[in-house]
Amino acid sequence: MELIQQAYTAMMTGVIVVLAVLIVISIIRSILGPGVSDRIVAVNMIGTMVIMITAIFSVMLDENYLADICLIYAMISFLGVVLFCKVYTGVYLQRKHMLADLKAIEDNLNKQAESHEHVSEEEVRQ
Amino acid sequence: MTGEWIRFAAASGLLILGVGFMVAAVFGVNRFHHALNRMHAAALGDTLGLLFVILGTITMRGFSMDSLKLAMVIVFFWIASPVCSHMISRLEAMTDESLGEIMVLEKNNGVRVEQTENIKAGEKAVSKKKKQKKGGRER
Repeated sequence: MELIQQAYTAMMTGVIVVLAVLIVISIIRSILGPGVSDRIVAVNMIGTMVIMITAIFSVMLDENYLADICLIYAMISFLGVVLFCKVYTGVYLQRKHMLADLKAIEDNLNKQAESHEHVSEEEVRQ
Repeated sequence: MTGEWIRFAAASGLLILGVGFMVAAVFGVNRFHHALNRMHAAALGDTLGLLFVILGTITMRGFSMDSLKLAMVIVFFWIASPVCSHMISRLEAMTDESLGEIMVLEKNNGVRVEQTENIKAGEKAVSKKKKQKKGGRER
């Protein structure tokens, strides 16, 4: 029984170390990522990996309340991502004077088309 | 004793499979270039990675109230994760300055930027509008 306990501990420690390395890589990506949405994707993935580590710890340390913490962390991570997306979208659209809600996508494409047309007209003049 | 070892093998197999999916997700997020492509890779870890890791922990613990809570994490996360992805993709579609451009890989390792059908249609619509009005931008 001692041997199998050691095997469980070694396996779970290895998995947690690999996940920790992946979290560090994701943090680097969230710093480097050129756009805001890249950063949000990376932060969302860090949240997923923290949930995994908490679930593994709840078995490894035999602490039952860590399962509750896991569930609550999932909810708060979800809330954070949704709120951050909403706030950033609102601020951006208001700053650029674009239409609100789903019409903003069409607006975005139309603006790009206009800017492309300007570029092509300038090329023709030159 | 043999049963315990079989349970250990199943649990470690599930855990390592889940961590393998996470490795693939992190590799994909660092490998791709646009946020919409990155979300494709990140969704892999959000669904299958979490599923296999938590199935591994449930296998270790056996059926009890705590493993039910861990299963609730999967249920909640599979409901919440598509909503997160939807919000992120909406943010990307509204704020990306080069949304209509796609990168095309050519045979001799070259990269060429093309316009998608949407933005071509948008250019046509804008030129029609300009022919009708012959004015500047109204906004």
